[in-house]
Amino acid sequence: METLQQILSIDFLLRNSLYTSVLVGFACPLVGVFLVMRRLVFMGVALPQISSTGVAIALSLPLWLGFKLTEHGSHSAHALAFVGSITFSLTAILVLAFMERRGRGQPEGRLGSAYVVAAALSILVLSKNPYGEIGWLDMLKGEVITISNFDLVLTAATLTLVLAALGLFHKELLLVSFDREMAIILRKNVVFWDSLLYLLIGLTVSMAVLSVGPLIAFGFLLIPALAAHQYARNMRQFTLLASLIGGATAFLGFWIAYRWDLPVGPTDVVLLGVLYAIGWLTAKLLQGD
Amino acid sequence: MTELLITLDNLSIGYNGQPVLTGLSLSITRASFTAILGANGSGKSTLLKTLLGLLPPVAGRIDIASAGVPLTFGYVPQSNQFDPVYLLTAFEVALMGAYGRIRVGHLIPPAERAFTRECLRAVGAEDFSHKRFAELSGGQQQRVLIARALTTRPDVLVLDEPTAGVDREATTAVLEFITEICKEKKITVLLVTHDFSAVRHHAEKVIWLHEGKVYQGAVDELLTTERMAEIFEIGMG
Repeated sequence: METLQQILSIDFLLRNSLYTSVLVGFACPLVGVFLVMRRLVFMGVALPQISSTGVAIALSLPLWLGFKLTEHGSHSAHALAFVGSITFSLTAILVLAFMERRGRGQPEGRLGSAYVVAAALSILVLSKNPYGEIGWLDMLKGEVITISNFDLVLTAATLTLVLAALGLFHKELLLVSFDREMAIILRKNVVFWDSLLYLLIGLTVSMAVLSVGPLIAFGFLLIPALAAHQYARNMRQFTLLASLIGGATAFLGFWIAYRWDLPVGPTDVVLLGVLYAIGWLTAKLLQGD
Repeated sequence: MTELLITLDNLSIGYNGQPVLTGLSLSITRASFTAILGANGSGKSTLLKTLLGLLPPVAGRIDIASAGVPLTFGYVPQSNQFDPVYLLTAFEVALMGAYGRIRVGHLIPPAERAFTRECLRAVGAEDFSHKRFAELSGGQQQRVLIARALTTRPDVLVLDEPTAGVDREATTAVLEFITEICKEKKITVLLVTHDFSAVRHHAEKVIWLHEGKVYQGAVDELLTTERMAEIFEIGMG
């Protein structure tokens, strides 16, 4: 209880990390719900990794061009990382979604290859980058420690924007996902709504990767949505339950990690996995299987 | 005078510029009930998708309008094409038909919800409207999809084998209901089916696609034993 009081205190040293984790925990599942419904679960795994490769390349770019970033974690470095992250996420999601829609080849193979190549590339790039050695490799491993006020505000603003767009355009995004033909017949611009959804997914993934790393990002994108799907009876319950599971696990994971001095990212993801397994077993027992 | 709603003039239809059927010329009038018959692969679905604007015509002209105003289509697809991963209730599925009238970013007006309930009641789906769509039987899902098509307030109701996988009794009930409501509301019906018996009982006109040829006419002219034997003989060459 003492630990809980500490982390709830407004002058808690790592409060920005806690707030960011919880924000990501609440927001990522809202996008994850669409990934699960559109059967794009593998994309939810590959995208954060591709996004982090974008971060690694963007941070290495000044070095390759002969410039020097004066301070790790500066606004310019963060802006650069954000541009790298969003560029890679959006390009990847648009290319992968386009190839998926054409229906040729093996989508799982493409996504698996993209994931593994992106993971290897980001480690290679950062291993030759002094800034990467200092802090970004930790971030890619899910060590949520140094989050500035600027990072927190940027994360909150981006996720609020995503949340507002998902709420405002929920019926269009749902219709285009559930029944594309019906959407065309009702004269909805399906290319526009698909692109908007991909943009929102890309933004969320980029922001989450940048704030908390790819491990937590894909953990929170998929596991809460998959866990909620077992119990929800309708779309509203599905969305709210997924978001609640994400937010609550982020808080609980942070508490456990702080209490036992564990890295936050892996703690969160393992906790999500345990909750998912318990939920699955309970659901099976309730169904009498 | 009977109002022409859909006119096809020397139309070629197909996929990726490759025609499946050529030289289609026909017209469909308001409040008529037309059945599109044909074996699997005869081009029925391609014709339907072209009419609905889901596929561009390969060549020729297609006019779909009433006094210059684009028509509203209510489409009833085959119910087994939906992914059960979507946790939508029957009511939420039926409500989607109203999305075409609701402005982007606006909440769904209570009047549209009430109209959706009315449509569900009309098709006898009110009792299971709160249930998950994916958990309904094939016949129940068809009723919900018909309700969804009606919530679009359609000029033309397009049904793609709506009675596939549904027992005879339910088929008769569904088609009788459609015939009745469409007469009452002056809705044009286009029904794609394999079911000759259903066509004889409910449709007025038939478009029959057989081995690349298109036969059309009134049901009692085209579906006679002599005429059908003639078509099959021509087809078999």
